[in-house]
Amino acid sequence: MTDGEQLAREAGSRDPAVGLRAVRALRELADRLEALQVGNARSLGWSWQEVADALGVSRQAVHKKHRSTEPSLFTRLGKDT
Amino acid sequence: MFERFTGSARAAVVQAQQEARALGHDRIEAGHLLLALTSVEGGAARTLDACLPGLDGLRARVRTEIDGLDPDVLASIGVDLSAVRRAAESAFGEGALDRGRKGRRGHLRFTREAKKVLELALRVAIHNGHRFISDGHILIALLMLPESAPVRALLHAGADLAAVKSTALQEIASEAA
Repeated sequence: MTDGEQLAREAGSRDPAVGLRAVRALRELADRLEALQVGNARSLGWSWQEVADALGVSRQAVHKKHRSTEPSLFTRLGKDT
Repeated sequence: MFERFTGSARAAVVQAQQEARALGHDRIEAGHLLLALTSVEGGAARTLDACLPGLDGLRARVRTEIDGLDPDVLASIGVDLSAVRRAAESAFGEGALDRGRKGRRGHLRFTREAKKVLELALRVAIHNGHRFISDGHILIALLMLPESAPVRALLHAGADLAAVKSTALQEIASEAA
């Protein structure tokens, strides 16, 4: 049995402190993966609407969450020249 | 408020900013303050040294707590963080899964929690009749934040929080003398 499996079994102990911390860490992990994937999609030319549809959320929600991580128009123009 | 800070306490605040910047974070958090206390010479570092088997273990744990991705916690629900990290890095490059690398320059701001730590340090000093705020007061203030990265890291490293507090107060008393 691997450490992970053993820990997974221990999580069956129903200790809320363990379970809730795991949920929080998983959310953090999902957020980071989302940022990577959204950034990649945008750099490949996906529209905010296409990204939102793929994530199953509204265009406004995805734009609000990720626009600040996007290179500004100014730096994008700078790269092209 | 900073005018009452001792040299070590000031050095710790400056160092906390450097710890945050070294990790690519854009705010100074309570965890960065604890990292700073371990590396600035003073009563807090002496206290931690006396209360823990080693400061390197504590520093590593604080970094994990600040990062928010604890491999052991994720393993408890069957998620293998190193496998996820490998997959992310093979697609998007080394460090892809690291917390925001914004490389912010200039002055970093404190989070609300970190500001609270400095306020609590002042309160601890007043409560004990001290006219100065030392790095030891900051350490005691950090102990007062339940479920925070510093407290979780200290407990994980095997610290007895009550012993840390009493040792820190002794250190402060010897500084005042």
